[in-house]
Amino acid sequence: MYTELNSILSTTPDSFTQGEFILLSDRKSDASFLIHHFLSFYLRARCKVCFLGLVQSFSHYNAVSQRLGISLIQAKEKGQLIFLEGLTESLSVLIPQVTSTGNEAMDFLRDPSVGLRSLYDFVRSSVTSSGGGEEGAEEWGPPVLLVDDLSALLSLGVSAGAVLDFSHYCQATVCSQLQGNMVMLVRCDGEEEEDDWDDGGSELLLKGLTHQCSLTLHVQGLPTGYCRDIHGQVEVCWRRRQGDGQNTQKKLFQYKVHDKGASFFARGTSSAVL
Amino acid sequence: MLPELLQGTDAGGFLIIQDSAGYCGRHVLKSFIHAALNREEAVHVLGFEVSEEELRDGLKGSHTQRLHFHNAFTDPLGWSDHPAFTVHRFTLEELTHLVKQTSQPKPAILVIDSLSWILRHVSPSAVCQTLQQLKKGGAVRAIIGLLHADMHQRGTVGSVCHLATSVITVAPGIKGDEGVAKITKRSKSGKVMQDEEIFNIKEDLTVVVQSKPSHIGSKQPDTDEQETDPTANLTFNLRLSDTEREAKGKLALPFVFSKEKKTALLHSGPGSGRILYEPDANDDYDQEDPDDDLDV
Repeated sequence: MYTELNSILSTTPDSFTQGEFILLSDRKSDASFLIHHFLSFYLRARCKVCFLGLVQSFSHYNAVSQRLGISLIQAKEKGQLIFLEGLTESLSVLIPQVTSTGNEAMDFLRDPSVGLRSLYDFVRSSVTSSGGGEEGAEEWGPPVLLVDDLSALLSLGVSAGAVLDFSHYCQATVCSQLQGNMVMLVRCDGEEEEDDWDDGGSELLLKGLTHQCSLTLHVQGLPTGYCRDIHGQVEVCWRRRQGDGQNTQKKLFQYKVHDKGASFFARGTSSAVL
Repeated sequence: MLPELLQGTDAGGFLIIQDSAGYCGRHVLKSFIHAALNREEAVHVLGFEVSEEELRDGLKGSHTQRLHFHNAFTDPLGWSDHPAFTVHRFTLEELTHLVKQTSQPKPAILVIDSLSWILRHVSPSAVCQTLQQLKKGGAVRAIIGLLHADMHQRGTVGSVCHLATSVITVAPGIKGDEGVAKITKRSKSGKVMQDEEIFNIKEDLTVVVQSKPSHIGSKQPDTDEQETDPTANLTFNLRLSDTEREAKGKLALPFVFSKEKKTALLHSGPGSGRILYEPDANDDYDQEDPDDDLDV
């Protein structure tokens, strides 16, 4: 996890707001470094994590997490991490074999128009399964759902409305009912246009998720172009604040991704500049 | 106009709060619910987008028992075995039955959070039909709906807003916690009133209207930004008296091609120099032929 990002969000693994829906988004950039941050953050916070890794293999996340000081293999063995490896599961759907796991989570690949109800059932069973009854089962904290990423579902033929329904149900179960947290990544390609409804729905998906969430982190490249020492900018926007009447608060930071982490700084204060 | 709308909608009124991803309109919706509860009216909320705890958060007081929350948040599509309220039950009969369940002497106010959720699953024409029937029927006194304008096509937004008697479009204001509300109100006589106000919602959900915004794009001009006189406070005099101003106006500038100069050049007067030229043999120099001036 990145300590500077923790101080920006005012969270630590020991105390963080529960019931939050954090939306990570990027436009012509790559926000997946934030997914690694939240994965290691919630594992360190001893939460039960359900990770839907739809775009990369398990070994990729494991390799990056090891550099951040967390072992995913150990977490999986202890039962803290439930990992859905979308790439291999989809193979078992497309090429039916005798030894298939019987996991119905990726069944939407057979018929995308059906929607993501089976994926939601998988998520619900993962976060509500308690380790009670087993000897030596550890007590984990509130459940956390991480999805990397939702735009892959759009490109697999699922409609934006179905993805919004899926995220709504996940929020109702994970955030509201179980007081856990949810982190989802959505990626956009083109420029932000007002009335563009033909782009496969990624703009509609982003807007719909922005309405649902309580915190957004939007990653973009620098408006001035490529820079070797500053990889881009992150706009942090706090949406729903309970009880204090404040509506939205926005802050803009620049970041640089290193080998073992990422550093965040206010605009213009990069160590290369000062 | 915003406080007037908060005071109460007429019977058969339909108010829409339009918001976008930049500014959440739910706080304004809560202000309306709060104002209705203070007027001792019964409020029925169809909650699709937020849970009951989140909606009741901030609504304090003893009259919150008049707020009836119908839970359409946990299972709006019927994916579980016993859904409380699904989106497909958004019809006149179901809603009338729902509102009549709580026996109240006068009809209640129906709050829909949000219309966008319903419009994603039910066709806009069916939604408009149900809303119109609700308006005309006597089951509810007024309807207040939240609509996310950036999630639908303009035609859909326009159709639903056409049914409304008042539309409030909220957008982020210049300062952090302020919002700008553009209000359109249609009265029963057919008169349309429009207004634009900057507002702020306090912690107890009362709306404070700050001021009217100035024209689009410019900030409020500061009072000390008057024209400063550059000729004041100098050690020399830069001002002109009236006679000096006259003389300045009459002065002919040296390189201006005026009419008098033009006539003087075209018609040369008597006694001006004339040039007589007789071609000389030496002047006949042909550059092509260097030997042209040899007298051979």
